[in-house]
Amino acid sequence: MKTQVFSWSALSRIIAAIFAGYLFTYAFTAALAQLLPGEPRAAMTIATWPAFVVYPLVILWAFACARVRLVWSGLLVASAALLLIGFWPQLMRAW
Amino acid sequence: MKTQSLTQSMSWLHTWVGLVFGWLLFAIFLTGTLAVFDKEIDVWMRPEAPAHKVDQTKAAQRAMAYLQARYGDASAWNIGLPTERSPDLTISSGEQRRGGPRQYLDPATGEPVAVRDTAGGGHFFRFHFTLNMPRNIGIWLVGFAAIGMLVALFSSLIIHKKFFKEFFTFRPGKGQRSWLDAHNATGVLVLPFHLMITYTGLVIFSLIYMPAAVDALFDGDRQAAFGRGQHEHRGVADVAAVTPAQLTAIGPVLAEAERVMGEIGSLSVSNPGRSDARIEARPVLGNRIELTKGKSMVFDGVSGAVIRQPESNSGAILSQRVIAGLHFAQFGGYPMRWLYFLCSFASCAMIATGLVLFTVKRRRRHDAEGPIAARLYHVAERLNVAVIAGLGLACVGYLWANRLLPVELSGRGGVEVRVFFAIWLLSLVHACCRPYIQAWREQLGLAALMCLLLPLLSSMTLENPWAESIRLYVELTAIACGALWAFCAWRTGQSKARVAPRRQSQTVAQVQ
Repeated sequence: MKTQVFSWSALSRIIAAIFAGYLFTYAFTAALAQLLPGEPRAAMTIATWPAFVVYPLVILWAFACARVRLVWSGLLVASAALLLIGFWPQLMRAW
Repeated sequence: MKTQSLTQSMSWLHTWVGLVFGWLLFAIFLTGTLAVFDKEIDVWMRPEAPAHKVDQTKAAQRAMAYLQARYGDASAWNIGLPTERSPDLTISSGEQRRGGPRQYLDPATGEPVAVRDTAGGGHFFRFHFTLNMPRNIGIWLVGFAAIGMLVALFSSLIIHKKFFKEFFTFRPGKGQRSWLDAHNATGVLVLPFHLMITYTGLVIFSLIYMPAAVDALFDGDRQAAFGRGQHEHRGVADVAAVTPAQLTAIGPVLAEAERVMGEIGSLSVSNPGRSDARIEARPVLGNRIELTKGKSMVFDGVSGAVIRQPESNSGAILSQRVIAGLHFAQFGGYPMRWLYFLCSFASCAMIATGLVLFTVKRRRRHDAEGPIAARLYHVAERLNVAVIAGLGLACVGYLWANRLLPVELSGRGGVEVRVFFAIWLLSLVHACCRPYIQAWREQLGLAALMCLLLPLLSSMTLENPWAESIRLYVELTAIACGALWAFCAWRTGQSKARVAPRRQSQTVAQVQ
């Protein structure tokens, strides 16, 4: 039996896991930092800790999820929403 | 991959993440294991430094007398004090980073001693997190590998839901099953350690890897984020008031600093001999659970009064330092260091058995998967030898270079590091040229031999190699590692008898 070593959907999945996964983690951390109460330096430090658990878990999900398109769309939509929360003050100022 | 079950997709991920990052992770973990004892290896690599148990106050007094006589007009003095882990007394003059070269003093007499130039135990420490690459590239690669490690660990938890049962399963001498059992046992046994050490390693550089919070809260302004520039300690002294003045006695200053911060590792004196002199005392890294790097206490150099207490961290910043401290084995002294060393060794064993398992598993189906796959497995086999056995060889070769290179060689420390990489490269060439099993045996055997002969080498190249007991302990540890490698080399030879016929029959089948 010949097992397939390479496929386009696998490549797409890998790129989604690494890059879209990082983007999601970045957005998640920014949003958490913005939402945490208290002194900004403390919020910055605490909000960054979960990132190194979130990123590997997102990568796992990207490979566990049945459909590659769902991986891409899920991560990008969630990232956009979280970035909005994380960079709300900057967006308001730019307005 | 569409119709795969969760376990199947996770085991696919585990295999490939393990393979892609396995070699890099093995190198990071092995050098990290050695870096647990970086100071001790450092002492071993500077055999000329005298070993006297002198209390810190006397050593500091002698160092200051020497500095006063030689560098009385320098803008600053720096003194590295003898500590529990290192008996060396070192001095330098000028500003900390840009100052003159470090000199070694005999703590008993205060006279300078000529100590060989070496890259020291710090080489393993630097390689561990920078891979000797231009600084940030290495840090990013190591961070990426660490995420790979976490992905591999998490996926293994999903694959092995019954991993506690599997932990008690060991079927020795059964080829592939044994490799799998060894991989699972080392994986489960120290799973909390694997998770802790990888996670805390990432947190040390958390704001480099994940600057999202800095960007969101401080618009990416790192200076503001770290609170720098808010409190400059170097107060501008009133120029008119500066007059020549005698330095205060160092004894009470050291005693007070030690009372507040624990064992002191180094002192700096700025503006010695002037009325605006300042003495800064820093604790050794490793007497508190939190990482004490950057912590210090400042005294008036003339009156000896405390000018600045060490910053007391609280809440989030303290927690951050505790997490980082966990990675550095910053607490619990030598028993804790040994525990870290052994757990870390188990991590190396887990990664190594995983890598070997990959190739052992596929050796049987090389031909069934086409020429590209066969080529890939062939390359993986060779890389396994060069990374697992070859890196061990390079590490012990680095220690040999320290003893064998001429002491007067210029840029000696750099040459030692080059020897390390040259041996590693040679091991790759060797692994490609020799038959697979032979390459394993020869490299493991040579590494074992070099470890076992390390005390002999020391006694042949030095007059009194074990004057400092730390040097003896380093060599005893090397002998233990050598014995382990010798056992691996011997076992590899044994399994050859079983593996070889199968390989032969395969090639025969191919020819037919």
